[in-house]
Amino acid sequence: MSASAGIEPIVRVEGLSKIYRPTPAWMRALVRTAIRSDVVALDGVSFAVGRGEVCALVGPNGAGKTTTFRVLVGLTTPSAGRASVMGLDCETESVAVRRLVGWMPAEERSLLMRLTCAENLYFHGRLQGLKGNDLRSRIVSTLDRLGLGDRAEDAVVSLSAGMRARLQLARALLHDPIVLVLDEPTGSVDPVAAHELLGIITSIVEERGLAAVISSHRLEEIEALQSHVVLLDDGQVRYDGDLEALRRTWDRPRLELRFGGAAEARDAVARVQASGAGEAEVLDGGTVIVTALGGATVGRVMDSLGPLLASVTDVREVTTPLRDVLAQMYRRGARSVTS
Amino acid sequence: MRPAAVAAAFLRMDFVEDVSYPLWLILQHLALIVPVFIYYFIGELVGSAATVGGDYFTFAMIGLAVTTVLQAALTGFGWALGRAQDRGTFETLLVEPVPWTVLPFAMNLWRVLLGVVSGAIVFAIGLALGAQIDIGGVPAFLLILVLGLLASVGIGTVTAAFMVLSKRAQPLVVLYGLAASVLAGALFSVEQLPRALQYVSWAIPHTYVINAAREALMADPGSFTVPVGTAVIALGVFDAIALTGGLWLLSRSMQYARKMGLLSGY
Repeated sequence: MSASAGIEPIVRVEGLSKIYRPTPAWMRALVRTAIRSDVVALDGVSFAVGRGEVCALVGPNGAGKTTTFRVLVGLTTPSAGRASVMGLDCETESVAVRRLVGWMPAEERSLLMRLTCAENLYFHGRLQGLKGNDLRSRIVSTLDRLGLGDRAEDAVVSLSAGMRARLQLARALLHDPIVLVLDEPTGSVDPVAAHELLGIITSIVEERGLAAVISSHRLEEIEALQSHVVLLDDGQVRYDGDLEALRRTWDRPRLELRFGGAAEARDAVARVQASGAGEAEVLDGGTVIVTALGGATVGRVMDSLGPLLASVTDVREVTTPLRDVLAQMYRRGARSVTS
Repeated sequence: MRPAAVAAAFLRMDFVEDVSYPLWLILQHLALIVPVFIYYFIGELVGSAATVGGDYFTFAMIGLAVTTVLQAALTGFGWALGRAQDRGTFETLLVEPVPWTVLPFAMNLWRVLLGVVSGAIVFAIGLALGAQIDIGGVPAFLLILVLGLLASVGIGTVTAAFMVLSKRAQPLVVLYGLAASVLAGALFSVEQLPRALQYVSWAIPHTYVINAAREALMADPGSFTVPVGTAVIALGVFDAIALTGGLWLLSRSMQYARKMGLLSGY
């Protein structure tokens, strides 16, 4: 559920814009510029995340996901708009915000590779102001919770990619943050490890009542999270709501109809298309796939078959993969839709 | 959070990391034996020059030891910053709730400590080879050294501020360190420099640290000396300017990097 729908937001992003400009001429003596003209990374992005809520930022490369995260943790300043955590401004009160946020960057290199898992957490804990027995017991319990208890004294360099991802999550959780900012947490791990990691994230968010903002390229993961989704494209919010509402808005019913023979199937295609109820095509032999058009219901599609309805031997609703729903949405030019 | 706790955390992290490369750690100190021996033999050759107080080896040993320590303080923060940028750990540090102005001190501490150990090794080898120092001058020497270290940290922070933006500014500070050791007369008397360069010498902290150290530790420091009192005042001024300027510049540089999106680059 979206925080904007009722829960008091912990994270609030309002009209956030970010334009990356080429470095000025005087700086090119120091370093050659990476960009030649203005790049609009974010353009008026707004969303909110409440306690106990997972908000998934989804979008293609360059959509603005990482820039949004960087603004939240204070690594980048917005060109316009505002991001806040518990009412604290991420730009002007970033030191205070950083106490409330647990950040998991996309790069596993952010760990200190020569140090052990426990040493990595110890260093982070000290910088967070933790010390003594409190810090030591947190390290033990956090590593145990993430399934790394028996690897506490192993150097990070010896861990698998999945373990490193879990250690990064452990670091983000060690100081009991209120907000988790997870940039591609499963980016470098295999599907099994990704599934485990997301399970851990979901249960921790629920247990601790955290507000979590997460990005992923893997849409099946976003579906599994059952989260509030913000779809970004070209720095703009294309959709803000839950996945079911997204499907209701953008997914057109698709039916697979089976007939006794190819001739009936071809006839059915002609009837459906003539009625304007849907787009139809013969898949193979006697199977027809129909995609409803213009808000046509399943009943209307069936009705368009006329006398052929009695020849239908089997009907099945085809679930559209999320990626196809999104592709359809982008193709049809969605603009700042909120459920 | 207290800056001392942040510094202790960095010190521990750098220590744990560096001791995981034991041979490198030992060899970088052992390598100092070579120059000490070189200056010992040069001292045997030219030992009685009046400009160096008649004891070139002690004169050069103090110059070498002090330069070694100051160079560590100059380059330490930039070195740690560059390493963090290359490894991808820099942003993780910046996301910790630590004021960024604490970083030049915290990230530098281990390198400064290694520099002090290196300087102590130079002194130890020098004394073993017959260098003569006045033990009574050690407290004054240590005071001068601490003030010099602070000035070097400040100048190193200025360079690090450029590094945040340019990623590769370390040669600047290395060049400065080498030039400073020449201008400050680390291995010869400042009087041997051309007149114009002697004026430049007064504008760098190294000159006060090295020559006041000789004044404090040598019975006859040669013809070019800087009284300890003068050095303390001058270094106090340098510290105030370099540290304030360095931290201000670093802060501005960080703000600019956040605005331009440059913090993630390397």
